[in-house]
Amino acid sequence: MLSITDLTVSYGPVEALNGVTISVPRGEITAVIGANGAGKSTLMRTLAGLVTPTAGQATLDGEVITRKSPEDIVRMGVALVPEGRSTIPELTVEENLRLGGLWRAKSDRRAAQAEVFDLFPVLAERQRMRADTLSGGERQQLAIGRALMSNPKCLLLDEPSLGLAPLIVTQILHLVRRLADETRIAVLLVEQNAVTALRMADTGVVLNLGRIVQTGPASEIASDEKLRHAYLGY
Amino acid sequence: MTSLLRFPGGRLVGHAAFVIIIWFLIMRLNDSVDPLANYYIALVAMYATAMFGMVILVGLSGQVSLGNGALMAVGGYVFAVTSLHWQTVPILGVPWNGWWSMAFAAVGGIVVGLLIGGIAARLRGPYLAGLTLGLAVGVPAIANRFPELLGGESGLMITVPYPDGGYAPVEEEVFVDGTVEGQSGDASSVAVPSAEATVSPDDMLTLDNFPAADASAAAPSVDASVSPDDMLTLDNFPAADASAAAPSVDASSGDLGATDLSGAGDLIDAGFIIERWQAGLAITVACIAAFIALNLVRGRQGRVWRAVRDDSIAAAVSGISPAKAKVSAFAVSSLFAALAGAVFAQILSYVGPGAFGLGLSLSLLVGVVLGGRSSLLGAVIGGLLLVWLPEFVLSLAERGGWEDQITNNAPNLIYGLLVVLVVLLAPGGIVGSVQLLISKVTRRAPKGV
Amino acid sequence: MTSFIDYLIGGVSNGAVIALMAIALVLIWRATRVVNFAQVGQAMFTTFVALTVQTVTGSWVLALAVAMVAGAILGVIVQFLVLRPMRRADTSGAIIATFGVLIALQAAVGMIWGGDAQAYPQPFDNAGIVAFGRIWPISVYDLVVIGVTILLVVALSLLFTRTSIGLAMRASAFNPEVARLSGVRVSRVLTFGWALAGVVGAVAGVLVAPSSTVSPTTFDILLVFAFTAAVIGGLDSLVGAVALGVFAGLVISLVSGLSNSGNAPVVALILLALSLITKPDGVFGHHKARAV
Ligand SMILES: Nc1ncnc2c1ncn2[C@@H]1O[C@H](COP(=O)(O)OP(=O)(O)OP(=O)(O)O)[C@@H](O)[C@H]1O
Ligand SMILES: [Mg+2]
Repeated sequence: MLSITDLTVSYGPVEALNGVTISVPRGEITAVIGANGAGKSTLMRTLAGLVTPTAGQATLDGEVITRKSPEDIVRMGVALVPEGRSTIPELTVEENLRLGGLWRAKSDRRAAQAEVFDLFPVLAERQRMRADTLSGGERQQLAIGRALMSNPKCLLLDEPSLGLAPLIVTQILHLVRRLADETRIAVLLVEQNAVTALRMADTGVVLNLGRIVQTGPASEIASDEKLRHAYLGY
Repeated sequence: MTSLLRFPGGRLVGHAAFVIIIWFLIMRLNDSVDPLANYYIALVAMYATAMFGMVILVGLSGQVSLGNGALMAVGGYVFAVTSLHWQTVPILGVPWNGWWSMAFAAVGGIVVGLLIGGIAARLRGPYLAGLTLGLAVGVPAIANRFPELLGGESGLMITVPYPDGGYAPVEEEVFVDGTVEGQSGDASSVAVPSAEATVSPDDMLTLDNFPAADASAAAPSVDASVSPDDMLTLDNFPAADASAAAPSVDASSGDLGATDLSGAGDLIDAGFIIERWQAGLAITVACIAAFIALNLVRGRQGRVWRAVRDDSIAAAVSGISPAKAKVSAFAVSSLFAALAGAVFAQILSYVGPGAFGLGLSLSLLVGVVLGGRSSLLGAVIGGLLLVWLPEFVLSLAERGGWEDQITNNAPNLIYGLLVVLVVLLAPGGIVGSVQLLISKVTRRAPKGV
Repeated sequence: MTSFIDYLIGGVSNGAVIALMAIALVLIWRATRVVNFAQVGQAMFTTFVALTVQTVTGSWVLALAVAMVAGAILGVIVQFLVLRPMRRADTSGAIIATFGVLIALQAAVGMIWGGDAQAYPQPFDNAGIVAFGRIWPISVYDLVVIGVTILLVVALSLLFTRTSIGLAMRASAFNPEVARLSGVRVSRVLTFGWALAGVVGAVAGVLVAPSSTVSPTTFDILLVFAFTAAVIGGLDSLVGAVALGVFAGLVISLVSGLSNSGNAPVVALILLALSLITKPDGVFGHHKARAV
């Protein structure tokens, strides 16, 4: 389980996160939703070690992960799929995947790759092609696959829906749901697109200007009209 | 610099007054020192002129150039060729004189600068640096291509323009007895100031050592390293004989303070000191360049250059043409380089590929980085440093009894290390660091009051 | 006609050396987005180290090996010096720093080994091979140079395509953030790249030395040729560096043979300017100007 306690991040004078506390249990999807600039990416990047928090901490199964390097955090079991297509277009599909588990023993890597191909069969078909020949949805699957190659206990997904057709978003989130159910992985999902995200998630967290304004079961948050109007803008 | 000089009135008038005062003071200084010091002053002024251009190009417009030595070569060669071939041709009724040649050198510099700037404006940092590196190596080699006109490897001797406007041909025999220093192969490739380094180990000659030279010949051409320029070094140096203290030629004359004036011989008796005249010329040109540079740097054009350097996309959005800005920076810096090259040619009474090689370009870069990449004052300080450091090292070497091998290379080692240190720790160079210090002190002061 | 072909054949081994130096530049450019103008200074230094080793032990192979190790170490040191301005996004500063290192290294070479050109002992037969009733413009030594270059290029391409460190190097070059998120220790990988470039440059230096002389500035011209080759090749492309390096060698050999060697830098300058005018990103550059 990933526990985030009182996490505060500032970029110089700008406070991007302020006292954020969230817990993400294994086998569940926790969706953080919020408008542009709410601090969602900042939260994810901090958890992955790309940004150093000014206060607070996060632990994975009791081990502190904050203020460590991204390289170490991956090894501890937290993998981030960053915003945008986080694949390397110049590399082939197979190389992108291999990259994700480069630090692991070869046999572990093989097993992980088989699991990824099992989850995303299209990647197996496209193995030898360069990543920039893939469609947007396939590339997002590759990005998630790359993260899964490290066999994470906790998966961080930053706006996987960005720039994808709604149908494809639903497909991908279904796969993520299956992943959480089957592998008991903890998933922290960040979305602006609240409807789809909350439909798949177990828990919803509403973030606004760096502060949490509401936490609760996803279905409750989805049906809270006041919340929607105030923070999600629809 | 900018914070030190703020004139309330018209900027142009202010700059003019400032430059004229400086000119006057330095000319006075120039008249009161011995020929060796005149020679140093001339070199500093020549470097400063070229480095005003470097400040604009590297510091303000953010284009790292290694080609300014080559641009100096353009100025030097145009000066040499026009004054050799056209000295009997009057223009607009005015008899040909050194200033005509200077004007041609300036025009040549601008034309070449526009040409190169046109290419350079499209290039990002490392590509530009590489292209200008190619210039630094390639342009002096052009002299080899046209041996009749440009003198080939051994360069051109030029007649020294005397102040009366006429030319007195340099008498060959005066210079023939110049000693050939054995160690000139060691002479630094960057530090040009001292006489022995003037024609530094000829960069072009190394070409002969490149295997392409004779692909089929079995024996490597070792003898190619004995450069004909080694002979020319002193021969062509007009001061070599006039003042016995031709800097750093032989160890005994290194003591700057105690230069023997009588060694200057006949020329002093005649009331005319060639070094003093050369320094006056260099100072005047430097002051003209400084006036132009001040107006550009502190005016609208300076803001345009900085805007393009800091963020060319943002600048383009606000209606500035980054390409135009880059080309104009190149043209101005090329103008200054050409003027400096013409002055350099007159200081040496000689132009040759070795004198304008990669070493010269590198020394300009060193000077401007150490002095302060984006400050005109930094260019002057850089010039001082380029002239002073080798002499300082020499005096240390004499006291410490260093081997020649150490002495000859120490200045460059120091320059190289200093450049790296400055980039790492104080990117603003000497001037930038002092400014930082001043701003820290003055910002703290009001709180205390 | 015979002489034309002879010049071409004779140019191959020069081309091989230029290609190696260009590879060294490309390796670092891909990893760090810096053109390491100090590369020839490093190569000069390691070549003098090799000269010393060879003079003492008489072994060319040992000299080459020691030079390679020295090249790796120097590469790491230079990277350390250039890293800081790069972190500040001071591109000019990084370029200037490499020139500072070049100046300092050349001076250091002059201090330690003297500024005069020295002959580098020829380890193999350097006379033209006699076969089929004529003397060919290529020697056993040229063949060694070409052979070592091919070996190195093959080894490098295997390293990049077949090994984990190779994949890590490519990933770190293309997208360091994703590489880090994948667990790649990017700064170590970059350091490895600088060391590797140092090794390749050192090999180039030792290979070219016997057919020339060595002095602190001998390799300046090699830098220009190698940079020209690397740029026309696209700076990002190892294949381009090799192809254009060899091509540059042939052109220089032709120019030197048919006119005089003093023209070679002018030709390099013209080639460089033409290629930059027509294709500022090189003929092999496979992607558009990446945001630096
Ligand atoms: N590197 C940075 N430096 C300074 N401020 C930053 C930086 N990154 C983000 N910010 C600021 O922090 C705040 C939160 O940004 P963040 O990217 O985390 O928002 P977000 O919720 O992911 O937005 P979006 O939905 O657009 O992705 C914003 O005000 C943003 O301007
Ligand atoms: Mg975001």
